[in-house]
Amino acid sequence: MSSTKQYWMDAADLRQDPEAIKAREGEFAQPLAIDQVLGDSNLNGASTNRRDFLKFLGFSVGAATLAACETPVVKSIPYVSKPEEITPGVANWYASTFYDGQDFASILVKTREGRPIHIKGNPRFGINRNPWLDKGVVNARINSSVLSLYDGERLKGPRKRNEGKHVGVKWAEADGAISKGLADASAAGKRIVVLTPTIISPSTRAAVAGLQAMHATVEHVQHDTISYSGLTNANLKSFGKRVFPGYDFTKADVVVSIGADFLSSWGSTTEYAWQYATRRNPDGAMNKHWQVESRMSISGANADARVALKPSELPLAVIALHDAIARKSGGATLGGGLDNAELNHAADALWNARGKGLVVCGSNDEGTQVLVNSINNMLGNYGSTIDLDNHTWFFQGDDAAVAQLVKDMNAGSIGALIMAGVNPAYSLPNAAEFKSGLEKVGLTVSCARYADETASLCQWMCPDNHFLESWGDHMPKTGQYALQQPVISRLFDTRSWQASLLKWSGSDAKWLDFIKQTWEQNLAAHGGGDFATVWNQSLHDGVLTSQPMPASGVAFAGDVAAAGAAAKQAANGAGEWELSLYTTEAIGDGQHANNPWLQEMPDPLTKITWDNYVCMSFADARRLGLPDYLGEQSPAGLVSVKVGEVELKLPVVPSPGQREGTIAIALGYGRGANGEKVGKAAVVTNHNGERKPVGQNAYPFTSLRNGAVSYDAMNVSVSATGETYPMAITQTHLTHMDRHSIVKETSFAVYKAGDRDAYNKPHTLPVHDDVNEDGAIDARDRKPVAEFDLWAEHPVEGVGHRWGLSIDLNTCIGCGACVTACNSENNIPVVGKDEVRRSREMHWLRIDRYFSSDTKWAEGRAAGEGKIGLYSKMEEPSASPSVFFMPVMCQHCNHAPCETVCPVAATTHSNEGLNQMAYNRCIGTRYCANNCPYKVRRFNWFNYVTDKFAETNPAWDDLGRMVLNPDVTVRARGVIEKCSMCVQSIQAGKLKAKKEGRPVKDGDIETACSAACGTGAIVFGDLNDKGSKARGLADGDRSYHMLEEIGVKPNVNYLVKVRNTDEAAHHA
Amino acid sequence: MHAEAAIREPLILGHKTYHDITEDIVRPIENKAPRGWYILMTIASLIAAYGTGCILYLISKGIGTWGLNKTVDWAWDITNFVWWVGIGHAGTLISAVLLLFRQKWRMAINRSAEAMTIFAVIMAATFPGIHMGRIWMAYWVLPLPNQFGSLWVNFNSPLLWDVFAISTYFSVSLVFWYIGLIPDFATIRDKVTKPMMKKVYGILSFGWTGNAKAWTRFEEVSLVLAGIATPLVFSVHSVVSFDFATSIVPGWHTTIFPPYFVSGAVFSGFAMVQTLLLVMRKVMHLEAYITKKHIEYMNIVIIVTGSIVGVAYITELFISWYSGVEYESYAFINRATGPYWWAYWSMMTCNVISPQLFWFKKLRTHLGFTFFMSIIVNIGMWFERFVIIVTSLHRDYLPSAWTMFHPTWVDVGVFLGTIGIFFTLYLLFARYFPVLALNEVKSILKVSGESYKQEAAKHHHH
Repeated sequence: MSSTKQYWMDAADLRQDPEAIKAREGEFAQPLAIDQVLGDSNLNGASTNRRDFLKFLGFSVGAATLAACETPVVKSIPYVSKPEEITPGVANWYASTFYDGQDFASILVKTREGRPIHIKGNPRFGINRNPWLDKGVVNARINSSVLSLYDGERLKGPRKRNEGKHVGVKWAEADGAISKGLADASAAGKRIVVLTPTIISPSTRAAVAGLQAMHATVEHVQHDTISYSGLTNANLKSFGKRVFPGYDFTKADVVVSIGADFLSSWGSTTEYAWQYATRRNPDGAMNKHWQVESRMSISGANADARVALKPSELPLAVIALHDAIARKSGGATLGGGLDNAELNHAADALWNARGKGLVVCGSNDEGTQVLVNSINNMLGNYGSTIDLDNHTWFFQGDDAAVAQLVKDMNAGSIGALIMAGVNPAYSLPNAAEFKSGLEKVGLTVSCARYADETASLCQWMCPDNHFLESWGDHMPKTGQYALQQPVISRLFDTRSWQASLLKWSGSDAKWLDFIKQTWEQNLAAHGGGDFATVWNQSLHDGVLTSQPMPASGVAFAGDVAAAGAAAKQAANGAGEWELSLYTTEAIGDGQHANNPWLQEMPDPLTKITWDNYVCMSFADARRLGLPDYLGEQSPAGLVSVKVGEVELKLPVVPSPGQREGTIAIALGYGRGANGEKVGKAAVVTNHNGERKPVGQNAYPFTSLRNGAVSYDAMNVSVSATGETYPMAITQTHLTHMDRHSIVKETSFAVYKAGDRDAYNKPHTLPVHDDVNEDGAIDARDRKPVAEFDLWAEHPVEGVGHRWGLSIDLNTCIGCGACVTACNSENNIPVVGKDEVRRSREMHWLRIDRYFSSDTKWAEGRAAGEGKIGLYSKMEEPSASPSVFFMPVMCQHCNHAPCETVCPVAATTHSNEGLNQMAYNRCIGTRYCANNCPYKVRRFNWFNYVTDKFAETNPAWDDLGRMVLNPDVTVRARGVIEKCSMCVQSIQAGKLKAKKEGRPVKDGDIETACSAACGTGAIVFGDLNDKGSKARGLADGDRSYHMLEEIGVKPNVNYLVKVRNTDEAAHHA
Repeated sequence: MHAEAAIREPLILGHKTYHDITEDIVRPIENKAPRGWYILMTIASLIAAYGTGCILYLISKGIGTWGLNKTVDWAWDITNFVWWVGIGHAGTLISAVLLLFRQKWRMAINRSAEAMTIFAVIMAATFPGIHMGRIWMAYWVLPLPNQFGSLWVNFNSPLLWDVFAISTYFSVSLVFWYIGLIPDFATIRDKVTKPMMKKVYGILSFGWTGNAKAWTRFEEVSLVLAGIATPLVFSVHSVVSFDFATSIVPGWHTTIFPPYFVSGAVFSGFAMVQTLLLVMRKVMHLEAYITKKHIEYMNIVIIVTGSIVGVAYITELFISWYSGVEYESYAFINRATGPYWWAYWSMMTCNVISPQLFWFKKLRTHLGFTFFMSIIVNIGMWFERFVIIVTSLHRDYLPSAWTMFHPTWVDVGVFLGTIGIFFTLYLLFARYFPVLALNEVKSILKVSGESYKQEAAKHHHH
């Protein structure tokens, strides 16, 4: 301190009074530390005084503060000129089209701030639109496809093979080289083959034609991964048209399906699902559905009667059906059919419903399909339930042509091969031959989005856009046109493969202009008005429809005798075990095996995730000494399955309904087995810490028979290896234990009789009051549970809104589209196989699947059986069970047991009947989850956005995070989450109505699950709105609350399942 | 001083003087600990360290490191919690209830039983804390004024009642225990010679002078605290049982739970006291103070409470049948015959059948057998909580949600860890604290001491 100023404490100090100084000496003898600190020589010098010090201090603090103020948010740049249609926080929906060779749907894509985040069916247009409900059907594969857009393993630009490795190149280099290669091949007179799945796009066909115009040797071969060659060939033989007909299940009073899983994997499923559902309403004319099959399929699970046969018996069942009908119609019989009473019932029903029945068959055997055509022809179903004039354009693939191509490739006569949308090196029965042939082709180009099994063997990778990044057009059915529009700019340096084709055809046209040109030339007439209007309207709607073709006469020209002989031949060679190959609802033909949402979606029947496996009957599994209970620490047994020279080791899942002596294996798994990068979730770390493909590839089990790929194998050997394999199953228990307050089911006859108590008797409790007025108070005095209330009523009844869901168990086909839609809407983490194995899947919405048991409680008790024995017997599913699907989400109880037990009030009831979850308040005691009778609450066991979940959780990386719905919080570790009934959509709907100055109308608001449910099983609405559909259903006779007797008063109700069975239903 | 009937067995064996008692109790504190103590301490602290590691791992990674799942959201965590709380019941029962009933035999065992209570309650309180998904928010269960708007705790929740019950019980027990320790600390202070120890025990004894007024106040405070603590013995475990009883889970929703839990708690608490004292009396040569008679008395409590527990089990089964409720009936049949039958029958054997052996005097006065039984009862009572929690949850209403529970190494590690921490604390207590209430024991020396009784008997004869 340089100041020379003197300070004094008091007058004595000023006077320097020696007495006072002495007296003060004892006190504060120690010099203050501050003097030492500041007594530094620098400070003692003349340079700095107290004021300077404060200035320095102020400056440095200010500077440090300013330096720290630099905002870390650097990417948030406002629009310089804001696009007209984008308002931050407001979603835009665009109409587009999904088509991948197996599924077709007109869709709406939800985008937020330019990012597509959700897909649902187009409610106004398209063949997948349910006109009764104004909803579009999409399956889980379609609504999950938005996630594959953000897959970081997609090819990020063109690549060329250089000394066995693929290196990135510029498009110009690729285009130059490929154009030259094509010219060389053409000049050498060698064939140039464009190999694609069935092309239903008029413009793409024109683009291929353009290449053909440039090079005379260009040939277009179509290859459907799951082939319908046998069926289309049969139609060629029978009617002179090689097409996949249009089927109309809405007109079918009787449906008989022989091995065709038309609700999940056979044909145009997004169309059949809603058609079928409209005929499952017991208040209308309910159809009657027979399913004949070896594996319990989704269609089989929904059937009224099911016959389990071996694959070798299916052609004989077709013959039996044929002969039964032929006998009635006076036609020639074939003889040698299967003798089965249920088939005769089916034949009677079909005959009685002539012209209003439908027989479909899943066989890919031409002879068998000719017989099916003959049956439908005898029944007069053509022109009513089957339309050959307005047929689909799907499944034009020709197995014989593909087989010839592989031969020619090996013979060296193919000069160039361009592939798009196909993966033959993975999916062909003779993939090895294809691979060796590929080496002999002069120029090989793949337009796959990934360096997949086929692309990684090609010289050039010219990656296609994701369909959400591309323009496109489609003609799913005669007279139906659909437009596909990009909803996001390309994420990577990719190009739609049609644009590539145009380039290689020497055209400078842009793909969009090319489509416009095609439409202008061919379609403008359908729309009326000038082309610009037609185009804009089509783009807005996603669809353009023209008048259907008038029906032309159908003349069946098939050779039934020859077909019968062929069918019998197809049944030959049956060994001890028979195998049927199928595709699952989640993975399909394997294109989507890299999609984490789909891998984690439980199989509708087996509830297995993240694997394919051998479905086997319980009896067979026990005979082989394999485990029949699968759980966290109860792994599946491995078997070796051998067909010819091909052998696979797969786990066995005992499956009720599987025909004894048969097994079934799903196709589409085992992608990326040779280390190819086929996408995020296709290859994951397994329980041994190795990175392995999910499941195994069963395509080698397919074979070419009579010019078509066969998905059955008649002579299979199966042997237990003695090893075990952990499996991730979401529902370890199979039966409903005869718990009638959960599962209510009746027959159509009982329902029609109209006595509600016979099929939906409300649960009652005894009261100490003479309510039945018989003069005595006894056990007969009972009141319905609904009239009891332990608690004060929540003020939601009749006041304001009361949101609720009504779930029709009759029209729920169990497909699971709601599960993935919920994943997408609510940012549900994907936790991976190991966590699912531990029963920790995070799905807010699940579909409970129950198999019936042969043991019934009431019957067993009446027969004097003990409770303990009965309980354990009821755990056994029947070998030929009826199946019950039940979507379960938070029931939003008005007396919610979860709400009372939370110590910190993190879960509360809204005044609109919603059970709310405040994630921020949750401390994670999980008491609520224990006390939830429906077990719908999910706990964040870990932080799912860590490396441990990198392989599976979309929210883990920057790219995957783009799929997240910004309206829904990503939950932190340690908190409970559960269905919010899409409260973000409810709020948005209310806000919109408020801004428009009107009350919320029924149908304004949809939850993700109700919007995804094209069959109309899930209906959302305001239960206080007497006019709402949901209220109407809730008040109906079929409505019940799950576990009504515990009095939690849910806002979700279920409608009793009604089966069109013959016998009067058993009801307890 | 009142006289005691000659036929009552003496509570202090041999010829002891007041000085002997002081010597016997303070000796281990003054001298170097025996080798056995170091060995036990090493083992216990290693297990404690491992358990602490497991707890830290749990907190850093998430509750997923335990074996819980979507259906079984509580398992070992709350099992351990209830088990430890139960063990924590004996101490207060012995010191408070038996004080009110003027049971003099409590004096030899109440100090260590209370210590056990304190440590067991600490262990118990660990679990509700670490079982939370977000333990760093644990303070939200306290009704503190806050800045979160109008947010307040949910007074409907039994978990909140637990917070109050456990914290009240812990604080009262701690105070009661410490008040009892004050005169004994003063005795140690006066006896030891090392300055450091003198200073520490001087602080601990709160300046106890030992005058008549202090003793009067001491007695009064003890009585008041015993009066406060007695209802707590019953309330704590009743409240803990409300966690289950007020829920709607079949197998939990049972009105019998409060008395059933309290008797079970006393049952397991006495068993743990036996486990600890049988070792301690041997290692610390306290045979003269903790006599066979003490052991026998405690075994009698075990028979009584064990039988109450047995009746409760049977009643539960009966009611599940009598209620006619489908889910209730299934829950109990599933307990006995379902996949966890082994847990149920372990519980039944350990808790209901085996304590009945104590009807034989030979067995209930046999030290080795008593020790064995105390372990069996502790195992049985752990299984009781496991059975109630896990077998009820794993198969409740919807068969679609049924699962099994499989513990992980972290589940096991945390449980073992709490046992390690408990024993570490108990060993520290045994080393540095007076393990008997020496001043209280002195008060009965002339009445219940063996030599004095013999003398009195002689006098009487003459």
